Amino acid sequence: MNDIQNPAASAAIQGRSPWRAAWDSLRLMMQDSFAVAGVAILILFVVTALAAPLLAPFDPFKAMMTETGRLARLRPPSGEYLLGTTAFGNDVLSQFLHGFRVALLVGLVAAVAVGFISTVFGVLAGYFGGWIDDVLMRITDVALSIPTLPFSIVAVALLGPSIENIILVITILFWRNGARIIRSAVLTERERVYVKWARAAGASHFHIIMRHILPNIVRVIFLWVTMSVAFAILTEASLSFLGLGDPTVISWGQMLNTAFSSGNLRTAWWWVVPPSLALVMLVSALYLIGRAYEEQTNPRLRRR
Amino acid sequence: MAASTPPRAGTRPASAATLAQLAELNQRLAWKPAARLQVEGLSIGYSTLRGRFHAVEDISFEVPAGTNLGLVGESGCGKSTVIKALMGLQPANTSVSGRALLDGQDILGLDDRGLRDIRWNSISLITQSAMNSLDPVYTIGDQIAEAIRAHERVSRATAWARAEEMFALVGLPAGRLYEFPHMFSGGMRQRAVIAMALALNAGMLLADEPTTALDPIMQSQIMTRIRGIHAHMRRSMILVTHDIAVVAETCENTVVMYAGKMAESGPTADVLERPLHPYTMGLQNAFPRLPVPGAPRQPLISIPGVVPNLLLPPPGCRFASRCPFATDLCRTTAPPVVRHGAQVATCHHTDRSEEFRAAAARPETWRNMRGAA
Amino acid sequence: MTDRPTIAPDAPAVIEARDLKTHFQGHTGLINAMLGLKPPTARALDGVDLRIREREIVGLVGESGCGKSTLGMSLVRMYQPTGGQILYRGDEITKAVGRQLKDYRRQAQIIFQDPYSSLNPRLTIGQVIEEPLIIHGIGNAAERREKVIKAMELVRIPAADNIDRYPSDLSGGQRQRIAIARALVLEPKFIVADEPVSMLDVSIQASVLELLDELSRDLGLAVLYISHDIATVGYICNHVAVMYLGRIVEEGKAEDVLTRPLHPYTQRLMAAIPRMDPGEATERVELRGDVPSPLAVPPGCRFSSRCPYTTPLCEAVEPDLSDQPSGQRVRCHIHDDRAARAHPELTPPRPGLVTETADAGILVETLDHA
Repeated sequence: MNDIQNPAASAAIQGRSPWRAAWDSLRLMMQDSFAVAGVAILILFVVTALAAPLLAPFDPFKAMMTETGRLARLRPPSGEYLLGTTAFGNDVLSQFLHGFRVALLVGLVAAVAVGFISTVFGVLAGYFGGWIDDVLMRITDVALSIPTLPFSIVAVALLGPSIENIILVITILFWRNGARIIRSAVLTERERVYVKWARAAGASHFHIIMRHILPNIVRVIFLWVTMSVAFAILTEASLSFLGLGDPTVISWGQMLNTAFSSGNLRTAWWWVVPPSLALVMLVSALYLIGRAYEEQTNPRLRRR
Repeated sequence: MAASTPPRAGTRPASAATLAQLAELNQRLAWKPAARLQVEGLSIGYSTLRGRFHAVEDISFEVPAGTNLGLVGESGCGKSTVIKALMGLQPANTSVSGRALLDGQDILGLDDRGLRDIRWNSISLITQSAMNSLDPVYTIGDQIAEAIRAHERVSRATAWARAEEMFALVGLPAGRLYEFPHMFSGGMRQRAVIAMALALNAGMLLADEPTTALDPIMQSQIMTRIRGIHAHMRRSMILVTHDIAVVAETCENTVVMYAGKMAESGPTADVLERPLHPYTMGLQNAFPRLPVPGAPRQPLISIPGVVPNLLLPPPGCRFASRCPFATDLCRTTAPPVVRHGAQVATCHHTDRSEEFRAAAARPETWRNMRGAA
Repeated sequence: MTDRPTIAPDAPAVIEARDLKTHFQGHTGLINAMLGLKPPTARALDGVDLRIREREIVGLVGESGCGKSTLGMSLVRMYQPTGGQILYRGDEITKAVGRQLKDYRRQAQIIFQDPYSSLNPRLTIGQVIEEPLIIHGIGNAAERREKVIKAMELVRIPAADNIDRYPSDLSGGQRQRIAIARALVLEPKFIVADEPVSMLDVSIQASVLELLDELSRDLGLAVLYISHDIATVGYICNHVAVMYLGRIVEEGKAEDVLTRPLHPYTQRLMAAIPRMDPGEATERVELRGDVPSPLAVPPGCRFSSRCPYTTPLCEAVEPDLSDQPSGQRVRCHIHDDRAARAHPELTPPRPGLVTETADAGILVETLDHA
């Protein structure tokens, strides 16, 4: 547990570096078979997303033609089109593979933005309390009263359907819960005796936040970010399914939308199943990781 | 639970029927004799991720009917574990062996039903943190009355009247029965828990650190109540504490525990005046006392070292690593239980206790072994 | 622990409180504010004079809620006093801010009760002790390390084995030593020790007390030792102050206050302590009720609501601290007839004359009935 180094060897006092801490918790997490499954799925998805242009046999927007020069509409999977074709003659496999990129891009960018904003709001409100807390939390309350779906529909319709706008909408929608969760974690940390002591020793607020508050709530932030990735991906899919997706890119939600609007949702299973399955798997993988991480950092949930 | 009762300042006038039932209940409860408890070879083991260990190992003692027994030791010595096992409150992954005969009935192997029958009725508990043993959503009066009605077939009004009497007994105004636990101060809450423990006049009271975390005035108030109750109602009691002065003032007999084992036991006066076990000697020296006018001040001596890890108990005596008198024998062989008159000690060298007592009073004896520990 | 070094009575004070007051304002609701109702004020600390000199350990005792921790927190400027003065070596720092406050924070340190939550579990012992040096920007990494090792030696925790360990690897007594080392690394002149041993086992309490005693001797520290365990106060303190409801009711040399208390409250406080030897036990006088709330401080003597000797004078006029022939200072009309002479119409209390009956009667009566 504690590897004692020779104190004379290094002049400066070393603590556990954040990388080392992250590595330690990752290693601990890997003892959980659910977490391993989650991480494996995630890695597979990331690799697929990166390699999508190489893996995809066709251009996702290209309409496939038969030898007779007609549109290759709604072909079931075959040797030529591994996952069949859409009603507009596009190759499903190629669209599906490109969908990985959008899903992960939206998920990652939105989650990082959500994590950042929630942390800033939560830490400032929780740590300083008083009127700062009042003001920030009232803003949060207002944000919390925004209805999710109507707001996203109206916002995307007004701003125009693009990936950037969808990420913006998702960020606006999900920072609010995170801010509350992080604030309550900060409220607990703020009352620790070592925080009181640090104030008595003359430490600045910045010092206390960076050294005593943040390191102890990293797990809460990480958990929220993981969950946000899942929320973001689902929200993007929902918006695209409603026809508010970015028309210039292919996402899973959009694939489902097209299948639905062309009236083939019930018949063209090869068109519907891959994006649905991928969505479920990706979101499940993220939940599995989040749950395992929480279990590992919260001793009360530890099953050992 | 019963219909909520509005908070009132005074007590509610009792009907004649209630008074008659109360008198009958009081008489029935007053007939309950004090219980006798014999604990024989009690061992309590936990299994954890890092292996199995014994929190308590082979403890034997007796509480004769109508006496107080002090169970003394430092945190982690297993004293609270003993109390939990006697109440059947040990966690699920615990193995308990040995016997605990309460008036001849073994209470260690009881099933849920059996436990329900004896709890409050013949053995009751005064816990360390009163807040945790009271339900925050019911009034204190409701809780005491329910405990009475769980065991005695009496009307709610009678049970409530009995609760009022118990409150008077611990010096709380009856009107406060209508209040909720959070409206009480720490000391008052502790008294309410005592009132609850007394409500069925159980023959055996287990008091688990009843005054820890209270300031001296509160502590004295609570202990005065407990002593008064003991004197008047002649109940038997086990008092778990780390404060040997409280034991000296309250208990006829004392058991000193160290690292899950019994170090010494016997009549309190003997144990404190002529301790046989070096740990008892060390504990006495380390205990702060008020200065006595005119008398030279006794030095305060700490016991060096730390309690051994119970997962890897040392092969010999568990106190050997901190004992200034330890020999090679102590470090290799578990000491026998030696009887000296009424006193019992688990030590290889009880025959040299007189010499040890003289040496233990000198700070150098303990200080010199600091390097070793 | 032998006798404490004697402190010259005219030695300059390291820290001094003059009529120090810390009142806490409750919250007013919106409706109350509109109705013009003032929020309740808790007079936690209500006019305390105290001086601590070099090498002196002053014990502060009293029931929970008497304001002793508030005094400690106010002296290190964790609470902002609402009145009076705090002087550090003659300089007033009551309202110091910025640079001056930070300088003062370097000189005055505090040790808290709970050794389990006072150290950040994510930092190594070395980092914990180094932190105050970083806060005050002292030295480079190597110099800081040297100071940390020195501080660990002072509290007798071997640096080589422990500097890279985590607090969870240490016992309660060792953690409290680390907390002391962290306080010492800045070489302060004044330390507030707020119940430093009350959560430790009896067998190791002594070693921490001994450490405080030695440090005050060797480093010339002024220490305020706050405790409700009055017996421990007798071992390390030169001077003892007894607080009741925000004020000092008795103070004097430790031996005098602990063995010959004059104030009725101190007498009861001392009598409440369990004695080891049956022969030592004094007559146990039970102190009734709880401390009155600092939100509603009684007029007159603050102890009058619980004192057995209370008379109309006590209920009307608050006594001042008066010097006694035995060297103590006591806040009680029994030992000071100035107020009685000023108010001849009010009956003064007399020593030993009990004016109120105790409630012990209820106990005996009910028990006989049961």
